[in-house]
Amino acid sequence: MDKRKPFDRRDFLLGAAATAATLPFGGLAFAAVPAKPKELIVRVWGGEWKDAIDSGVSKSFTANTGIAIKYDETEDNELQPKLWAAVKQKRRPPVHVNWDTTTNATKSALRNMGEDLSDLTNLPGLLPVAKPLGFDKWPLVNVYSYVYVLAYSQEAFPKAAPDSWNVLLDPKYKGRIALYNDGIGFHPAAQVAGGGKVSDIPKNMKACWDFIAKLKSQKPLLGEDPDFTNWFQKGEIDLACTIVTNARGAKKNGVKVAWTVPKEGAKMDTDALWVPKGMPANELYWAKQYVNHALSKEAQQVWCDGLGLPGVNPGIKPPDDMIGDSAYPTKDEDFKRLLRVPNKVQVENEKEWFGRFKQIMQG
Amino acid sequence: MSRYPITWRLLDLVEAVAALLWPRALHRYTGWLLLLPAIALVGLLVAGLAYMGDSSLRLLDTETFEQSEDYTLANYRDLIEKPTYFTVLMRSTGAATLVTVLTLVLAFPYAYSMVRTRSAWRRKLLLVSLFLPFFIGQVVRAYGWLVVLGKTGIVNTLLAHLGLGPFKMIYTYPSLVFGLVQYMLPFAVLLIAPAITAIDEELEAASESLGATGWRTLRHVILPLAKPGLVASAVVVFTLTITDYAMPVVLGGGTNDFIANAVYDAFFRISDNGLGSALALTLVVFASTLVAVMLGLMGAGTLGMRPSGRGR
Repeated sequence: MDKRKPFDRRDFLLGAAATAATLPFGGLAFAAVPAKPKELIVRVWGGEWKDAIDSGVSKSFTANTGIAIKYDETEDNELQPKLWAAVKQKRRPPVHVNWDTTTNATKSALRNMGEDLSDLTNLPGLLPVAKPLGFDKWPLVNVYSYVYVLAYSQEAFPKAAPDSWNVLLDPKYKGRIALYNDGIGFHPAAQVAGGGKVSDIPKNMKACWDFIAKLKSQKPLLGEDPDFTNWFQKGEIDLACTIVTNARGAKKNGVKVAWTVPKEGAKMDTDALWVPKGMPANELYWAKQYVNHALSKEAQQVWCDGLGLPGVNPGIKPPDDMIGDSAYPTKDEDFKRLLRVPNKVQVENEKEWFGRFKQIMQG
Repeated sequence: MSRYPITWRLLDLVEAVAALLWPRALHRYTGWLLLLPAIALVGLLVAGLAYMGDSSLRLLDTETFEQSEDYTLANYRDLIEKPTYFTVLMRSTGAATLVTVLTLVLAFPYAYSMVRTRSAWRRKLLLVSLFLPFFIGQVVRAYGWLVVLGKTGIVNTLLAHLGLGPFKMIYTYPSLVFGLVQYMLPFAVLLIAPAITAIDEELEAASESLGATGWRTLRHVILPLAKPGLVASAVVVFTLTITDYAMPVVLGGGTNDFIANAVYDAFFRISDNGLGSALALTLVVFASTLVAVMLGLMGAGTLGMRPSGRGR
């Protein structure tokens, strides 16, 4: 048997139907048909991110299928070229499922690296945000949304939360502010805080770059997800633009940190799951089942609870600590305060924006 | 009956096989044979550089994230036109120079004390102190400095007891240089120590008995004779520093990138292999040129192949 024979739609539907008839598990195909691999490898981010997908998705998947889930914690940016090279050279990809930013996943989709997920049984009921924009098919599926909030030390702001991104320019906080080291999550907020409009992105971003240039004189620290928690914990910073999950994680670990969506709004983005091409048919089948399971209401509820983020399966209840939090949008007014930049625009301009940000910050 | 040990028989067998595989007529090429693995390794590196050279001449299409089929110098033009890369290159070079000077200044007395001390326990202490950091990786050592010098670190806590601070001692250029010097010190000492060991102690005694002060002996006897070790350690420390990646990430606070960080960003953050390759090749050419200049000005030091005057 040719292991590289593509697993076609007919095989998939047969398997799904057979299993749905035998297992009370949301129509997933967990019995019969393609041979089960001993394990699937899923790329994840570490810390609370891995804990959340493990308790929300992987444990129940393993319980229902017997397939163990092994994690690959290679940085998403570093795994990307390895995946691209493997697919291009028709080698087995290093992971079965890639948990990725939608921006990176979109780049991979543009290079035709991902399997089409259109036949997943859980897709039809999802919120529109799950569908990747700019593609006819589903080379990736968005799995939840998140907001780049203004996180702040409660010791520095004991009375009230800062209400504007302009607080980052206050000389009082010079050397005590932090951003992502590639500027992600901050462009639209800087654009509005600098007096511009999000709708002008990418054609006219002068307001954004002027604001970031002013910020440079505030000597910001630039880092990645784990750095923010560490910096708040060690008292190095008072303010940061970071994903709400990181701020929430720090708070859960006893750090006196809170967050807000300032009056100018905050950027909303999504992460995605996708399945790289080039794996044997049976492994592809089960990799897709893993993604399908991750989209089920039951898995999304636990996974997104762990992350404190709104999933793409409707009807997910917010975790208790996020109820009424504008960084967990549920109402129209919440969504109106969030700033969105289409992924296509982000992908096409990433290099240019990265270069501008670095030019300012490294100067 | 002669007793011919089995080990001898085995050796005879090995010799016979060797003679079969490598006949006596080829023995004058044995040196080249031994060089083959090294040549293969260097060949692999050259092949990689050639591949990167090809990649550096292709432009990223951000609509498909594929590299262009056509060749272009656009990536190199980017390096020249965008001031970020010049800034980062100059920062790397400046730091490499500073770190090399500071490291040599600190490493020389350490190596001298280690070699010349009459006390066995002192030599052991100096050796252990030198080798201990080798068991701890660069990243761990850098994080160690965050613990020591951070806002809530040991130094600031002690200063707070004196009513001082807290002071910002990390995520700055000086802290980055400090971390690099600490990292490079063992390399430098290990390269200088053999050069000092090779200096005949009687030369120093003779200098002093002729009335030279300690300073004059150091300047006119010890330093010139230790020059091979100093040159070798300068080359190694400079090269390791100018290409360093981890220390700027951990201690630089994100605004003190070196050229290696820019290479990483190009390859992994913006998926632009062409730009990354152009940056990497520029770094290779730039650093190699600087090292060649250093060797040209100061000689090859202990890296030299044979004493001068005997070369062919």
